[in-house]
Amino acid sequence: METLNPRIRLVWGVGVLVTAAVLGVGVGVADRFALGVGAWIAVVAAVAVLGVGVGYVLVKYRVWAFEVRDDDLYLERGVLTRVHTVVPFVRVQHVDTQRGPIERAAGLSSVVVYTAGSRGADVTIPGLTPDRADALQERLRRLAIESEGDFDAV
Amino acid sequence: MKLHPLSVPYRAISRGISVGTSVVFLGITLSGTGAIPDLIGPALVGLAILGVLVTAGWEVAYYRRFDYELTDDGLDLASGVVSRRHREIPLRRVQNVDISRNVIQRALGLAALDLETAGGGETEASLRYVGYDEAKRLQREIQRLKRGGAATDAGESVGRPDDPEETLFELSMPELVALSLLSFDLRYVSVLAFGPVAFPFVPGIADLAFLGGIVIVGLLAVGLWAISAVFTFARYYGFRLSQVGEELRYERGLVQRYDGSIPLEKVQTVTVRENVLMRRFGYAALAVETAGYAPGQTPSGGSEAAVPLATRERVLDLAREVEPFDPPEFERPPKRARTRYVARYTLALAGVAGLLLGARALAGRPDLWYAPLALVVLTPVAAQLKWANRGYARADRHVVTRNGFWQRTTKIVAYDRVQTVIETRTIFQRRRRLATVVIDTASSAGFGGREASAVDLDRTDARRLRELVGRRLHERLGERWTERTGRR
Repeated sequence: METLNPRIRLVWGVGVLVTAAVLGVGVGVADRFALGVGAWIAVVAAVAVLGVGVGYVLVKYRVWAFEVRDDDLYLERGVLTRVHTVVPFVRVQHVDTQRGPIERAAGLSSVVVYTAGSRGADVTIPGLTPDRADALQERLRRLAIESEGDFDAV
Repeated sequence: MKLHPLSVPYRAISRGISVGTSVVFLGITLSGTGAIPDLIGPALVGLAILGVLVTAGWEVAYYRRFDYELTDDGLDLASGVVSRRHREIPLRRVQNVDISRNVIQRALGLAALDLETAGGGETEASLRYVGYDEAKRLQREIQRLKRGGAATDAGESVGRPDDPEETLFELSMPELVALSLLSFDLRYVSVLAFGPVAFPFVPGIADLAFLGGIVIVGLLAVGLWAISAVFTFARYYGFRLSQVGEELRYERGLVQRYDGSIPLEKVQTVTVRENVLMRRFGYAALAVETAGYAPGQTPSGGSEAAVPLATRERVLDLAREVEPFDPPEFERPPKRARTRYVARYTLALAGVAGLLLGARALAGRPDLWYAPLALVVLTPVAAQLKWANRGYARADRHVVTRNGFWQRTTKIVAYDRVQTVIETRTIFQRRRRLATVVIDTASSAGFGGREASAVDLDRTDARRLRELVGRRLHERLGERWTERTGRR
């Protein structure tokens, strides 16, 4: 099984930081106008969210794994609900690489695999270095074409 | 080719009425506020007439600028009054062709034709409106061309003998009446939910809430049941399912008449539904899902590729006609799954009691906030029923899943239709070493958690099923590939 680049923790961490900050400000405002407990409650709320969030990110990183197998792409992920997904190459419609602003700052990239399915219609593999993402995209693309035969993907 | 000329007045009048009335309403509302000079009767009428005229002009332009043509490879559409759009739909990708006609359209000989492909969420081609004969011709021609025939001009092929049409199923009047009486559409139940919620706020009723509430809910239930019966009757009046070559055709409807076609090779999932009443009387319903859309779903205004009601044996025979599967031998979830359901129902009841307690703290009533907890004694029964109706089966070419007590749904998925396989374990399932396997297809019925899912399997069984489905998909595709190339 392959794991993600450790730097993905930073990217997710930034998300947690933003959430904690927004929540802290929200609680601060609520305190100012309604509760009147004291400014410390906002700090406590933000720190609590930050703590839970950091723990969540660490577990999420530990659980995340994927593998390019003979006939399919296999992924394991999820903190509260564990999700194991099998995406057969025959079903792959197209493959994207994506880079968000925070991912770019961390020097990371994601690969998105699309199928025609109704629920698992797109599967994102985050936390790849750009080279690895490009190589994975190319490999998936080739495997999808190879396995296609002459079938309509639906 | 052009749309039917009568579509101009039809569209203009139906659109004009709504535009005219909304202009009048807008005028009345605005003139009261002083935003515009006060309008008097004649001015309003004039405004409405202007609105209608503009609409009529728009519809004439729409008609003049709309063009379609059926060629050997596809349907070409050119449309749009201001911004133009050219669209080509390859025939190989066509999933369903649906024709619908309401009473007025039937009197005028018009029909709306909708064409679905797997792509996108909306209907890909919609001809509003063509003549009924032309619609039927297009439907037939699309099927013929898909098999590799050559395009012919209009008129030539009308009345030409086609593939023999074999009737698979016809809904008789007693069956229709039975269906109307047996179907209690759960979608109407959401309306019911507002009833009990409103009671605490009606003075004096809270004390009676328990008895009176039950009576009122009962009355509402009967009313809703009558409404669903009437709707179902109109919907499935004259239902007929037939097979023409490699396609299924259906017809139905009392007020609005539908007929459509589904290519058998595009079928994704076959679903057998039986609610409690139907099970009691040995009936079942069948739905055939394709990637275009699912039965009863817009955008096509509820086209239906399904047998609404038949005896269980007939439904299974028909299902096998569409998807030749072996009689499934269901494996139930392990018995420990039942403890999960008991816990879940108990928590839900506790939640309801908590809400009522909260309501009492705020509003002073109801006094009997703990009444829902009395239902806790029933949770083992409910859990047992849920457990007993759940299961999955691995057949040679298909995987079959079954869920639900009130509405038992059996889904049959051919391995070669599988898109992805998803195994999930929530924290509650992990505690009991259980897992759910969702077998996802391209069927558009899947939105909203209605995919084929084998719920609460033992962990190792789930892992085995996940790998098996993926492996069988490849084997089946390989077999189909050699079948095809071998035949060529």
